[in-house]
Amino acid sequence: MMQSGKRASKLHLITAASLEEIDHWVAKYPADRKQGAVMAALRIVQDQNGGWLSNDLMDAVAEYLGMEPIEVYEVATFYSMYERDPVGRHKICICTNISCMLCGSAEIVRHLEERLGIKLGETTEDGRFTLKEVECLGACVDAPMFQIGRNYYAKLTKEKVDEILDALD
Amino acid sequence: MVNIEINGIPIQARDGAMVIEAADEAGIVIPRFCYHKKLSIAANCRMCLVDVEKAPKPLPACATPVTDGMVVRTRSEKALDAQKGVMEFLLINHPLDCPICDQGGECELQDLAMGFGKDASRYTEARRVVPEKNLGPLIATDMTRCIHCTRCVRFGREIAGIMELGATGRGEHTEIGTYVERTVNSEMSGNVIDLCPVGALTSRPYRYTGRPWENRQSVSIAPHDCVGSNIYIETRRGRLMRVLPQENEAINETWISDRDRFSYTAVQGEARLARPMIKQGEDWKEVDWHTALEYAVEGIRRVREQAGSEQIGALVSPSSTLEELYLAQKLLRALGSDNIDHRLRQTDFRDQDLAPVAPLLGSTLAELEARDAVLLIGSFTRKDQPLAAHRLRKAAVRGAAIMSVSSLAYDFNFDLAAEIVAAPAGMVNELAGIASALLELSGGEAPEGLASLLAPLAISEAHRDIAARLREAEQGSVLLGVQALGQAELSELRALAGVIARESGASLGYLPDGANAVGAWLAGAVPHRRPGGDETGGRDVDNMINDGLRACLLLGVEPEFDTAQPARALATVEAADFVVVMNPFVSETMKTYADVLLPVATWAETAGTYVNVEGAWQRFTAAMEPLGEARPAWKVLRVLGNLFELDGFEQTSTDEVHDEAREAIGEVTPATDSAWRLPAARTVAGEGLQRIAFLPIYGVDGLVRRAAALQATADAPPAAMYLNGALAAELGLSDGESAVARQDNNAVTLPVIIDEGVPDGCVLIPQAIKGVEMLASATGRVSVERA
Amino acid sequence: MISPIAKTFKSLFLVELLRGLGLTGRYYFKRKFTLRYPEEKTPLSPRFRGLHALRRYPNGEERCIACKLCEAVCPALAITIESEMREDGTRRTTRYDIDLTKCIFCGFCEESCPVDSIVETHIFEYHGEERGDLYMTKDKLLAIGDKYEKEIAERREMDAPYR
Repeated sequence: MMQSGKRASKLHLITAASLEEIDHWVAKYPADRKQGAVMAALRIVQDQNGGWLSNDLMDAVAEYLGMEPIEVYEVATFYSMYERDPVGRHKICICTNISCMLCGSAEIVRHLEERLGIKLGETTEDGRFTLKEVECLGACVDAPMFQIGRNYYAKLTKEKVDEILDALD
Repeated sequence: MVNIEINGIPIQARDGAMVIEAADEAGIVIPRFCYHKKLSIAANCRMCLVDVEKAPKPLPACATPVTDGMVVRTRSEKALDAQKGVMEFLLINHPLDCPICDQGGECELQDLAMGFGKDASRYTEARRVVPEKNLGPLIATDMTRCIHCTRCVRFGREIAGIMELGATGRGEHTEIGTYVERTVNSEMSGNVIDLCPVGALTSRPYRYTGRPWENRQSVSIAPHDCVGSNIYIETRRGRLMRVLPQENEAINETWISDRDRFSYTAVQGEARLARPMIKQGEDWKEVDWHTALEYAVEGIRRVREQAGSEQIGALVSPSSTLEELYLAQKLLRALGSDNIDHRLRQTDFRDQDLAPVAPLLGSTLAELEARDAVLLIGSFTRKDQPLAAHRLRKAAVRGAAIMSVSSLAYDFNFDLAAEIVAAPAGMVNELAGIASALLELSGGEAPEGLASLLAPLAISEAHRDIAARLREAEQGSVLLGVQALGQAELSELRALAGVIARESGASLGYLPDGANAVGAWLAGAVPHRRPGGDETGGRDVDNMINDGLRACLLLGVEPEFDTAQPARALATVEAADFVVVMNPFVSETMKTYADVLLPVATWAETAGTYVNVEGAWQRFTAAMEPLGEARPAWKVLRVLGNLFELDGFEQTSTDEVHDEAREAIGEVTPATDSAWRLPAARTVAGEGLQRIAFLPIYGVDGLVRRAAALQATADAPPAAMYLNGALAAELGLSDGESAVARQDNNAVTLPVIIDEGVPDGCVLIPQAIKGVEMLASATGRVSVERA
Repeated sequence: MISPIAKTFKSLFLVELLRGLGLTGRYYFKRKFTLRYPEEKTPLSPRFRGLHALRRYPNGEERCIACKLCEAVCPALAITIESEMREDGTRRTTRYDIDLTKCIFCGFCEESCPVDSIVETHIFEYHGEERGDLYMTKDKLLAIGDKYEKEIAERREMDAPYR
C-alpha cells in the first residue's frame, strides 16, 4: 500500500490502430464529454482483443476517456454484446425469441449443442465456437436465425447449420 | 417563488425546487428511498410517485420541478396505488430476514412497508440471491437486501470521491459493488451505512450487537480532529454501542469521518485502565483513588522541594477538553511551573511568541467551500481533517483551484490545480518562490527581514502559476497543515505563508492536529502564554524532552507515539524521578516509566468543551459513566489541586470550570494579519535522507490507535519505509526488502516499499505507529542502509 | 321488616340452621369437583403460560436469533438480551435472561418470537429457594427447553389449528 496517489498506466494495452479509431468517435463529442464515446471504444477494443474485454482493457478505456474504471464496467455489464470472458473464434448468437421459437429455434439449439458438445453460454475446448442465446435480432421474417461474427444466417435447418459450421475454420 | 398546492395546502416553493423538497419543507411526508437532499437526483426507486393534476401518469416527486399553480396530491387513490405498486415490486426480491437484520427498527423499507406494503406477496418465483461484497473491515454487506437506490454509489462519486462503487448488470441482475475485487478505501465510507435505506450496508463493528430502540442517544462532539463534527453517542446499559452523525450544516453537514464513527470500539477495549495503580519497587499495585492521588502529590512535592518547580512539566494531549487543559495549566502554574505544552508534534518553536492567539482556520468551514483558491502547505487534509477536505473537494468540483505544496504526492480525492512535491527542507524554497512570484506580480517589496529568504531564488513556472491563481482569486486561503506544523522549518514556512497570504489577499489559517488545538492555545496549555494570551515563559515540549524533567505529568499522552521525538521523549520520561500518567488506557511501555497510573475518562465519559478550528466553542455532556473506577480528568486535576492545598480548585462541575476558563480567556479576536520576522537560521544536523514523518489518519491519538476495526483498514499503514524507485536503486534496495533506518543512536529495521510519490532525497517513515517509535525524531535526517 | 312473631318463631325452631345443614347435606352426596393436588391434577390448555423455555431445532441448533422482539415487547421489562456475531457469522445471544420475579406471564414474548424460540411451557410447579433462583439465564432456559421439547412440540401442534 503506497502512501501517495501514484498509479500505473494501462494505456499501452490499446493498439495504435484502435486508438485512432476511438479518436474518430471521440471527435463526435464535445471535448469535456469524451465519455460519450465509451460504447464505441469498448466495441473497438473488444474487436482488437479477439472478441472479449479484460478488466485491464476496460481500465485502459477508462483512462483514455477520463472516466472511472467502474463507470466503464457499468456500461460493459449493462449491454449483453460486450463479452467479459474469453470467447471462441466464432460467436454463434442464436435467437430464441418468440418468432424464432415458433419456427423451431429449440431444434436448432439442440442440434448445435449436440454437434459442438457444449451448452448455451459455453465455449468449445478448442476455442473455435461460443454458443450464446440472444434476444430478437430483428430478422423474424427469416426465422429461425443466428448470427456469427457480423453475418446473419437465416431460415436455418439442421443441414444448413452443418453446412455453415463446416465452412468455418 | 412559485405557488403550488400539495394535498390542498397552498405552499410557496423556491423556483426550480423539486416537489419533494417543497413537500419536505412543508412537513408533508412523501415516501422515498433514492432521494437524499445531499445527493444528486436519481429517480430510480419510484417510491415517491405522486399524483399531479393534468399529468396523465403519476410523477416522481424527487425529479419533478415545481411550476406555478401545480396541484399535487400525495395521498390520492392514484398516488397511493402507484406507491403501493412500487412497494410490491421492491418487496419481490427483498428477503424477509428483518429479525436478524441490523437495520431492523430503523429501516426505511420496513417503515414504508408498514404503510404501503401488503401482508403477503403475490410473487411465487424464486427470489434472487446476491453474493456478498467485501467492502473492508468497517462495512458489512448483505447485498441480497439491496433495493438499488444507488445512494451509496452517488455518495461515493459525489461526496467522498470514491469511485470504486457502481451498479453493474441490468434489470434483475443489477448488483451494487466494485465489480473487480477492490476494497473501498475512503475515510468517509461509514456514511453509506446511514445512507443505505435497507440493511444491505451496515456497520461491521456494531454487527448483531444491538437494536436502535434500546440505545440511548447523547449529543457529543467528535474527538479526533479540529473540525469538531457533531455526533450522537449511543449507549445501552452503560456501554457505548455506536457513534452516529448529528446534522450541523455549518460544520459536518450530515457526515462524519470513519475515524469519528468507529474509534468508539476502543472505549470498551481491553487496554482500558480500570483502577488507579502505583509502582511499588518493580511491581504495580492497584490502590484506591485517595492513596494514588496522595502518592502522586507526594512525589511531585518531593521533586519540587529538591529541584524546584522548573523541573516539573506537563505534556497534554491536544484532544483533551478545554476544561482539562485549563485545569492542567492552572495546576502547573499554581505549582510555579510554566512547563506545559500540547504541541506534541511540533519541533520548531523559534517564532512561537509571534504565533496567533490560536491556530484558527481564518474562515468558517462553510466559507472554505466558497473559496476560489486554496493553497495547502504541508496538509493532507483528506486524511488529517476529512470533513474539512470535503469542503475543499466541493470547492474543487465547483472549479476552485486547490493547490498543494508538500513533501508527498498526496492521494487527494479531487484534482489539484497545482502541486509541488518537495523534500521537507526544500519546502521553504518553494514557498519563497511563490512569495517572490507574488511580489513580482504586485511589484511590491519583500517585507523587511525576509529579503534574504526570498532573494537567492529562481522562480519557476509552477510558482508563478500558483501565485497567479491565488492573486486572481476573490476569496483565497493559505492553510498550514499537520505536516507543516511538525516541520523543523515551521518558522520560515509560517513567515512565507504570511507573505503569500498578504500579497495575494488570501486569509491565512491552520489545520492543526488534535480535536482541541485551538482550545489548548486559548486555555493556556502552552508554555509561553497564559489563558487569554498573556505572555509568560516556560519550557516548550522540545526543551522538556531534550533537556529533561524531574517530574512529569502526562495527560492523555503516550510519548512514544504522540510526540515528534518518540525515542528521546521516552528516554526523558524514563529518566524522570516521578511520572504521573493520566490516561484512559494502560500499556506495558507506560508501566516502564510511570510511577502512578490514574485512569481517566474518555471523551464519551466526561462533559467538556472542544473549540474547533473555526473558533466555535462546542460543549458536550457525558454519554455514560466512566469505565471501572476511571474518573473524568478534570475532577482528578481538581482534586490534585486540593491536595496541593492550592487556591481556585473548588469547582463542582464542568460548567464552573468552563465559565472560569471563558472568563480568563476573554473575547478572542483572531489576528487578521500574521506577524513575522526572519527566524534564526537553523541547520539540520546529521547525514542521510530527510525523513517525511507521515501522520497516519488512524494514529493520531490513543483512542484510534486502539480501535481494532480502524487498524484493520488500508489507511493504517504498516511500519515501513517508503522511497521512490530511483533512490531505492541508488541505495541498492528493492521493494519488500528490509533496510535499517538510523537516527542518533537508534536504529529500526523496516521493509522497503517503493512509492513514486516520495520526493528525491527523502524517506517516508510514518509516525505514531508501532515499529517506528524507537526513531529519535520525526524531522531531521535518517541514514538508510541495507539490512 | 320481619315481624317480631316470625322472628321468634325462626329462632325458636332453628329454621335457618336446619336450612343450612340441608344445603351441606345435599352437597355431601353430590359428585366432588375438587382435586387432590398434587396426586391429582387439572387438565391444562395447550396455551397454558407457565415457565419459560428456549427451544432448539432438531439438529441441536438453538432457535433464538437475538432479534430482541421479546425484549422490546415485554411489558414488565423482565427480559434482558445481549447479542453478538457468533464465529460462524450468525446472529446469536450471549445473554438471555428472564427475571421471573418481574414476569407477568402475559405470553407476549412467545407471540412476538419469529422462530418459536421462547415459549411458555405447561410447567407451573417450580420454585426458588433464593431470590436469584428465579432469575432464568440462557443456560437454564435452554435446559428446560431440552428437557420438555417433546411436550412443548406436542402442545404447539395441538394449538396450531387455532393460530
